[in-house]
Amino acid sequence: MDASVNALAAPVARTGEAPHRYPPGDLAIWVFILAELLVFAVFFSAYAFARMGDPALFNQYQATLSQNAALVNTLTLITASYFVVRAVAAIREDDSRGCVRWLLAALGMGALFLVIKSAEYAHHFSLGVSMSTNRFYMFYFSLTFFHFMHVILGMVILAAVALKARRGGYSAVDHRGVETGASYWHMVDLVWLILFPLVYVMH
Amino acid sequence: MVEKKGARGLRPCTWVWLLLMALTVVTWSLGRAGVHGLALSLGVLFLALLKGQLVGDFFMGLRSVRGFWRWPVSLWLLIPGGLVTTAFILAAR
Repeated sequence: MDASVNALAAPVARTGEAPHRYPPGDLAIWVFILAELLVFAVFFSAYAFARMGDPALFNQYQATLSQNAALVNTLTLITASYFVVRAVAAIREDDSRGCVRWLLAALGMGALFLVIKSAEYAHHFSLGVSMSTNRFYMFYFSLTFFHFMHVILGMVILAAVALKARRGGYSAVDHRGVETGASYWHMVDLVWLILFPLVYVMH
Repeated sequence: MVEKKGARGLRPCTWVWLLLMALTVVTWSLGRAGVHGLALSLGVLFLALLKGQLVGDFFMGLRSVRGFWRWPVSLWLLIPGGLVTTAFILAAR
C-alpha cells in the first residue's frame, strides 16, 4: 500500500477551529450519546410532570437532600471534564505523557464523585429512606443512580483510553480514540449539569 | 475542543471551566438562600441550560461543527428544558 493510500486510511486529525462536518471522535459514540441523552430527557420531563401532581411533597423531601454535596459533585464533574479537554489538547500536541496525566486526574475526579454520591446514598439508607418511601425519592434514586452508573462506565472508557495512551497508542495524527472517550465523558457531565438544579435546587 | 492560549495566557477552555464553576456556585447560592418561587426555578434552569450549551460548544467541540451534528445537543437542552419549564409553570398556577 503506498503512502497516499495510508494517508487516506488514517484518522484525520482535527486542528484549530476550522469548521468540521462531524463532531470529534467516532460517529458511533455520538449515536450512542444521543440515545443516552434521549433517555435522560424523558427522565427529566417525567420528574417535572410527576412533580406537578404534588409539588408540596417534592419540595418537602427535596429539602432533605444535601445541596453542599451536590455542589461539590457538580464542581468535581466540571473539573473532570476540563481535565479531559486538556488530555485531548495534550495528545493533539503529541504529548502522550501529558494526555495520560490529565486522564488520570479526570479519573481521580470521577472517583471523588462516586465517593461523595455513595456517602449520600449511605446517609439516606441509614435513615431508612429508599425508592419506595415516596414518589420524590423514587425519582431521586432512579435518576441519580442511573447517572451514577454512567459515571462508572465513563471512567472505564477513560481508563482504557489512558492505558492505550500510556503504551503510545495515540499520536497527534491518530487520536480518535481519545476524542471518542472524551465525548462520552462530557455527555456524563452534561447530564449532571441539568440533573443538579432540577433535583436539588428548583422548587 | 482545543484552542490556542488567549487572554492572560489561558486557553479558552480554561476560561469556560472557570465560568462553569462560577455559575455552579451561583446556582447553589440561590438554592441555599432559601428563595422560593417560579422565577428562581426558571432562573436556575436557564443557568443550567447555558452551562450545558457551554459544555457542548467548548468541551465537546461542537462550536466548530457545521451541519446536522451542530444541533442535537442544543435541541436536547431546549426540548426537555421547555418541558420542565412548562411543568413548573403549570405546577405554580
